[in-house]
Amino acid sequence: MASTASQPVSFLQDKSRGSGIFSWIFSTDHKRIGLLYFWTILTMFGIGVVLGLLMRLELIAPGETIVGAETYNVFFTLHGVIMIFTVVIPSIPAAFGNIFLPIMIGAEDVAFPRLNLLSWWLYIIGIAVIVVSMITGQGPPDTGWTFYVPFSEFTTSNVTVAAIGVFIMGFSSILTGLNFLTTIHRLRMPGMSWTKLPLFVWSLYATAWIQVLATPILGITVALIVLERVIGVGLFDPAKGGDPLMYQHLFWIYSHPAVYIMVLPAMGVVTEIIPTFARKHIFGYKAIAVSSLMIAFAGSLVWAHHMFTSGMSDTAVMIFSFLTFIVAIPSAIKVFNWVATLYKGSIQVEAPLLFALAFIFEFSIGGLTGLVLGSAGTDIHVHDTYFVVGHFHYTIFGGTMMGMFGAMHYWWPKMFGRMYNRGRAFLAWAIIFVGFNALYFPMLIMGLEGMPRRYYDYLPQYQNAQVISTVGSWVLVVGLIIMFYNLFSAMKKGKPAGRNPWGAATLEWTVPSPPPTLNFVGQPVLERGPYDYKGVVVDE
Amino acid sequence: MYGQTSIDAVGQVDRAFVLILGFSVFMLLVITALMIYFIFRYSRKRHPEAADITGSGWLEVVWTVIPTLIVLLMFYFGWSSFRALRTVPKNAMEVTVKARMWSWVFEYPNGIVSNQLYVPENKPVKLNLTSLDVIHSFYVPAFRIKMDCVPGMKTYAWFNADKTGDYDILCAEYCGARHAYMLSKVHVMEDADYEAWIQKESGVASGVTGKKVYEKYSCSDCHTMDGTSDIAPALNNIAGTTQIVMVNGKEKSITVDADYLKRSIMDPEAEIVKGFQPMMPPFKGEMSKEELNALVKFLLKGEGKAVSETKGIDTDDLVEEQGCLSCHSTDGSVVAGPSFKGIFGRKTVVLRDGKEVTITVDDAYLRTAILNPGKDIVKGFDPIMPTFDSLSEKEVQAIIDWLQKQK
Repeated sequence: MASTASQPVSFLQDKSRGSGIFSWIFSTDHKRIGLLYFWTILTMFGIGVVLGLLMRLELIAPGETIVGAETYNVFFTLHGVIMIFTVVIPSIPAAFGNIFLPIMIGAEDVAFPRLNLLSWWLYIIGIAVIVVSMITGQGPPDTGWTFYVPFSEFTTSNVTVAAIGVFIMGFSSILTGLNFLTTIHRLRMPGMSWTKLPLFVWSLYATAWIQVLATPILGITVALIVLERVIGVGLFDPAKGGDPLMYQHLFWIYSHPAVYIMVLPAMGVVTEIIPTFARKHIFGYKAIAVSSLMIAFAGSLVWAHHMFTSGMSDTAVMIFSFLTFIVAIPSAIKVFNWVATLYKGSIQVEAPLLFALAFIFEFSIGGLTGLVLGSAGTDIHVHDTYFVVGHFHYTIFGGTMMGMFGAMHYWWPKMFGRMYNRGRAFLAWAIIFVGFNALYFPMLIMGLEGMPRRYYDYLPQYQNAQVISTVGSWVLVVGLIIMFYNLFSAMKKGKPAGRNPWGAATLEWTVPSPPPTLNFVGQPVLERGPYDYKGVVVDE
Repeated sequence: MYGQTSIDAVGQVDRAFVLILGFSVFMLLVITALMIYFIFRYSRKRHPEAADITGSGWLEVVWTVIPTLIVLLMFYFGWSSFRALRTVPKNAMEVTVKARMWSWVFEYPNGIVSNQLYVPENKPVKLNLTSLDVIHSFYVPAFRIKMDCVPGMKTYAWFNADKTGDYDILCAEYCGARHAYMLSKVHVMEDADYEAWIQKESGVASGVTGKKVYEKYSCSDCHTMDGTSDIAPALNNIAGTTQIVMVNGKEKSITVDADYLKRSIMDPEAEIVKGFQPMMPPFKGEMSKEELNALVKFLLKGEGKAVSETKGIDTDDLVEEQGCLSCHSTDGSVVAGPSFKGIFGRKTVVLRDGKEVTITVDDAYLRTAILNPGKDIVKGFDPIMPTFDSLSEKEVQAIIDWLQKQK
């Protein structure tokens, strides 16, 4: 095996292509680009969290608490735009996908390394444009992240600039998807057949198809908003014979599949973590792989379930309600297979597993509340209420971000060659779990009681739940601080980690931690399937 | 949650809620309990060697087919309750709901206009919804109804309240700065109370009035009351004026009086005012004599000559009803528009065709600001105010007089 060779230089320390910041921001190494994404995403996540905390603080009491109504409207717009477009959509695929996809299939890099670098730059330029929209013109956008017309045409806030930012960022996502598709098709090592791909790769594959096929429609939609605002073409403006519902259709044709862009990679992470810590083959490999594709396909046909109260025809409501229930099935199949993987395993509880289990619990709440929203009659009552806010935070924060935290704890020793403090990681997990549920569960209750979303002020009957939710946000952020402190301090002070501290069976655990620039020392050798744990040697 | 207030529909929706939420809680408990049990039962200490299981074909089939059947059942209950929310009983009374930033207007068939919804108990009510500006959403949690109000589009919702009481109306589609304050109430009353309310309100609104005729036949689609004559002559201040009209291709001078107005309403093409296209439909056979007289009286009297005649209008009610106060305060604070406090005589910078112009707020400026708000927008504010050309001249004048008093 490769371990007999002299220790190669890790991608973190490699000076052969220059040093300093330029060896990072102009690097074409997929791992460096992945880390660039990772740090950018965490920075934007920090900003999004602060905006969220401010919103929760404002809502701790009715009436004005810390800011006025217009500032609050800017808060939730920016919180949505930043969290969705700059954090959650790129999160796992752009960061962990970039770093681990090539290694997991035995490749030296992605298919188009320079295109990969361009994707990151487009992402950064998109963020810069959004920042410009906040500090120039007549104030940051105040439309909500959905930019619904005709309001987004009337408002004098800086919607045009923000929409251009989203437009640019869309291309970053499309190019990453294209790159991953080509990489998975063309760069698998000899012997890496489709049924030997790690399921994380399968989830990235399904995600990449959505990115390539759906994101152009987002580009068209936001470009049309800019055209409406700048030259008044009137496509969406009823005063000029346009149709505001057409905007909603166009917007959700992308933005609903986008939630699967967000959650599929997290499902992929969970599918890697659970068998590793149960030391047992994943239950139903093919069912999980196929369900990823089914989610990507069926998920593209359910967008108008966001529009049951919009005034579209009752027939459309029936069709989209039906299709929405269909898309619930592959998600359920995944959950059952994960739980079945634990059955008769040999389970070691570590931080990544705890985050994966938190994912299953919280994503289940997110998915089950989704049934209430998919059912036409019940959706009418809870549409655009806190029930929806609770639901999508359970799926996106409880799902994607828990998956992301799980990925961080799972791959941290591989990425940086050092192990974090495990006890502290447990503590952080427990606080995050409690805080998260205290923050979002009251929202489900408030929604059932009729509290509409995007309300700066509220009727007194909702105050108890609002207070619990705000206190939950404080608990959650304490957990986040402990978690990030634990991980960051491990980068320098952590115990050095070996190649395979968890005893996992996929290829990235056969290379040194951190991996060398070209990933493998010599030719990679495929000795086992991705979930074949017999004879795996743990190397802490 | 709330008690049963709408016959059938609310009951059906709540049944779907109970079924879906009940199943969800059950599934969540099963999944969580299994995970926790497996973690302890198969911990590496108790179970050092994992079993060699890679999957099970029949289990995959079972947990695909059973959830499919369950979600189809949920779909059915969701859909049938939705049908109940959409199927309006034939005997429903109709109310038109107009949404605008940031208030609700309820218009009853007999002409009553109100900012809150008053309905008798045990009577199906159909709400015909639309919006005057951006998208809003009409939401009454107690009746489980919610429907978007879309500009340029007609939507509807219905309910049947079987308990008297006051229920919240909320706007559920984000619509700008004061979205959270776009609230109102449904007052469900006993029949006798409702009749009394109708009697009281229709003191103002009963009978044929010129203004109602003017609105009924959509005269304002073409004719304005603010002096602008784009596609048809403006109708304010026309009484007694001299006009050139075309009769069989020849110019003729006439004086606008009752006779001329009646002729031009019943048979417009006979005498078209010079410079306009003959596109007005004749109202002969459509408009009753009573309506015609009322309309002519309204056109001759209301304008110019009788502007100071603002008695009989409760302006405090009017500005509330028209929603002025949801954007303009009377205490100096800035909401979405400039405050009314001390507005008269104030020097203000406005944007006119993109240029900054300093004006003094006077009678003429206020009239333009109400009838054609997009023309001069006070600097620093959004051009979001709808035009209020549905106001009668008397009402406009009353509001201007009222504004003068806001010191």
